[in-house]
Amino acid sequence: MTTTVTSEVEPLETDRSVRRYEDIRQLLPDVDNPTPLVQLNQVVAGNQITAYLKLEWLNPFGSLKDRAATYLMAGMQERGDLEGRDIVEASSGNTAIALAALAALAGKSLTVTIPSEVPAEKRTMLRMLGAEVWETPDDLCPVDHPKDGAIALARSIAAQDGGSRFALANQYENEDNVRAHYETTGPEIWRQTEGRISYFVAGFGTTGTITGVGRYLKERNPAIRVIAVEPQPGHRLPGLKSFQEAKQPGILDWDVIDDVLRVDDEDAYEATKQLHRREGLIVGPSTGAVVHGIRQIDDHGKIVVGISPDSGTKYTSYFEHILGDEGQPQI
Amino acid sequence: MTTQTDVPNTHETLDTSGLLCPLPVYKAGMVLGRLEPGQVLELICTDPGSLQDIPAMARQRGDTLVASEDLNGTQRFWIEKGTKQ
Repeated sequence: MTTTVTSEVEPLETDRSVRRYEDIRQLLPDVDNPTPLVQLNQVVAGNQITAYLKLEWLNPFGSLKDRAATYLMAGMQERGDLEGRDIVEASSGNTAIALAALAALAGKSLTVTIPSEVPAEKRTMLRMLGAEVWETPDDLCPVDHPKDGAIALARSIAAQDGGSRFALANQYENEDNVRAHYETTGPEIWRQTEGRISYFVAGFGTTGTITGVGRYLKERNPAIRVIAVEPQPGHRLPGLKSFQEAKQPGILDWDVIDDVLRVDDEDAYEATKQLHRREGLIVGPSTGAVVHGIRQIDDHGKIVVGISPDSGTKYTSYFEHILGDEGQPQI
Repeated sequence: MTTQTDVPNTHETLDTSGLLCPLPVYKAGMVLGRLEPGQVLELICTDPGSLQDIPAMARQRGDTLVASEDLNGTQRFWIEKGTKQ
């Protein structure tokens, strides 16, 4: 005898007050559901500032890029770009991870072109999410795209068959990326600091964050200084870009940027380790680069906010090399 | 330009007609990756950028571009997989 069990229990409705949700997408951030802003109490102690990190890795898909991916996806859906087509995107991992999850939820698949130096953790995570991963050397196309091989490859995949198979999310050129930060990250920071923020620090990557947040904050208070952190050419800081070697994204708005601080890998990784060991913040190396930038600010009594794009859990393979024999018994 | 008579034995042919660079470069790299050293890939392209990109790719990978031709908008490259990879 077989028994058919049917549930007669009505699902519980979303109730944010007890953190119960009907759909993972309801955890995506907005001004009423901001990512945490956490004060740095040790690593900038020598400066006369109060510094906070905005912990973007506590987003549901694990990084700052949940915001851009959400807006990119919504834009593609609104424009009808996804009718009969799947998605292709170039990414250093985090945008693709969020896009892969959102695409899966929408019944679509993601093809991602990803620079070959991106850590294995991210590549595997993408495959776990069902994405097709095209690992791409940055210098794949040395004649026309000396450091943007993944971006060029995504474009050529989108262009095949007259563009009938794939929609290119195009985070580097798509204003939806900027709008995500103008409408969410910026207002969150303004509210979380009670409008008292004086400096905003973020890394150069797609530049959606610094352009969107910078634009919003400067509209609220033109005196706020917006500082970009840029790695050196040949760097090993995933997610960040040096525009001395990579093409500047079309969405970058220099009018909202007051200064650019260049950071060496060594300084970024040292700051990352200090965040792990002195602040209890398990962050990735791009956060270390941002914090190294924050340490250059010494402006008495001012509030500084930096972006912490993602967590250190995606970079354990990097740190295996960086740590050497640290933490192993010396017998 | 070379003629077919100069062309060595081909072990695999990859037709990337209609694809824009760097997709032909990427696909050629994948095929060369599975060939044995000394084996030859015949690569067919229609993107004019291939005229620069394919020789650059071969140099970068340590392969040898043993012959090529460019006729009526179609490029053919014969690439011998190198030994030091």
